Amino acid sequence: MVVNWARSGSPWLIHFNTGGCNGCDIEFVAAVTPVYDVERFGIKLQGSPRHADILAATGPVTSQIAQSLRRVYDQMPSPKFVVALGTCAVSGAPFRNCYSIQGGIDSVIPVDVYVPGCPPRPEAMIDGIAKLLQRIRGAKK
Amino acid sequence: MVTYEVLQLIVFPGALFAICLAFLYEWVDRKLFARVQGRYGPLYTGPAGIMQPVADFLKLLSKEDIVPRACDANLFFAVPVMYATLPLATLFMMPIAAPEALIAFDGDLIFILFAFGMMTLIIFLAGWSSASRFSAIGSVRSALQMLSYEIPLGLVLVCPAIAAKSLSVSGIVQWQAANATLGAALQPIGLAVTMVCLLAELELVPFDIPEAETEIVAGWRTEFTGWRLALFRLGRDLEVLLVAALVASLYLGGAQPLWLIPATAMFVVKTAAVVMVFSFVRALFARLRIDQMISGMWKYLLPIAALQVVLVQIGVGV
Repeated sequence: MVVNWARSGSPWLIHFNTGGCNGCDIEFVAAVTPVYDVERFGIKLQGSPRHADILAATGPVTSQIAQSLRRVYDQMPSPKFVVALGTCAVSGAPFRNCYSIQGGIDSVIPVDVYVPGCPPRPEAMIDGIAKLLQRIRGAKK
Repeated sequence: MVTYEVLQLIVFPGALFAICLAFLYEWVDRKLFARVQGRYGPLYTGPAGIMQPVADFLKLLSKEDIVPRACDANLFFAVPVMYATLPLATLFMMPIAAPEALIAFDGDLIFILFAFGMMTLIIFLAGWSSASRFSAIGSVRSALQMLSYEIPLGLVLVCPAIAAKSLSVSGIVQWQAANATLGAALQPIGLAVTMVCLLAELELVPFDIPEAETEIVAGWRTEFTGWRLALFRLGRDLEVLLVAALVASLYLGGAQPLWLIPATAMFVVKTAAVVMVFSFVRALFARLRIDQMISGMWKYLLPIAALQVVLVQIGVGV
């Protein structure tokens, strides 16, 4: 109970681009600016995957980056969550059957929240993360 | 009588009080930092987000503990424990509830300087034990930084001791109370130099070179997870409190009752003021390069510190 409260109260993010066009990344960076102030939820952007709880991944997974994505995910201490930001990260979108693309984020690592959009607005991203936090808080009540 | 003393050490004004105050000051710091940037800061965890540091701490305690294969396991275990306990132990030498500290002896000012040096050594060992390139660079930068701020800091902390003719922090507080004066009024240069050096000691923003996020991931803390990171964060918070207590005691009169206001309240107000100055500076400045920091400390801060010593010596009379 207390642990769930603490986990949902202090989600630390790490951002990872798996080969996107940078559109989602710019929106993600906009979402952590003072305008949207995600620190209200206790969200902090971390540099090291060892410190992070939530992996915010953008872009379709290219064959080249798949291994790195897997490694970053493995370096995070559990319990860990993954948020797929943008249509490419959800399904691979226009690049779906491309020769160098494996598909969405969930073709490599398990995903908890999907935020579609090309790119999704910062509000949509924050909404997705807030829904994830709600689920963490409600877990095992 | 013994139980009373043990209770004093553990509850008030000892460990428990210090930890609560350290968490409170982390919240004050984050909140003020956010307000300067035109944000709200932590808002939903407890009233106005006041429980945010507690939530961070508990969350980190409940996370998986990863020990990289390449690291030195014994040191990797010992370093976070030492980092959290050293500032806590040093806080017992700070007058908090009365002008007399829990542990006061002639020369505890020197012990505090030693503790600051030890903190940097522990940081160096933390980077060394985790066997990661980012940690190694961070810890070497931390050691380099210590070489530049330690000397002006040592020089300038001697000034209150010369003026009060006591090498004990409690003695300096009592001297200020007895003479109805403040260290800040007598040694404004000393106060400024101390603040700059202590910012470097805490690795706060103009001097957060050892953990520069944009360059070396998270510096010397990169490989630490779970309870180890929680203890590092707690240690950092306690160190902020220790530094604020040191400035408050040496320069702002420390824990002495004022009219009807008890000593503890005065201590909290003064340390909170110091923490707020730190977070303002953190919000206003950008990070320096390591060479700018070292040459600035040696070229400008060291002569200013020496000047303060000379001025105090003249003021006291040979």
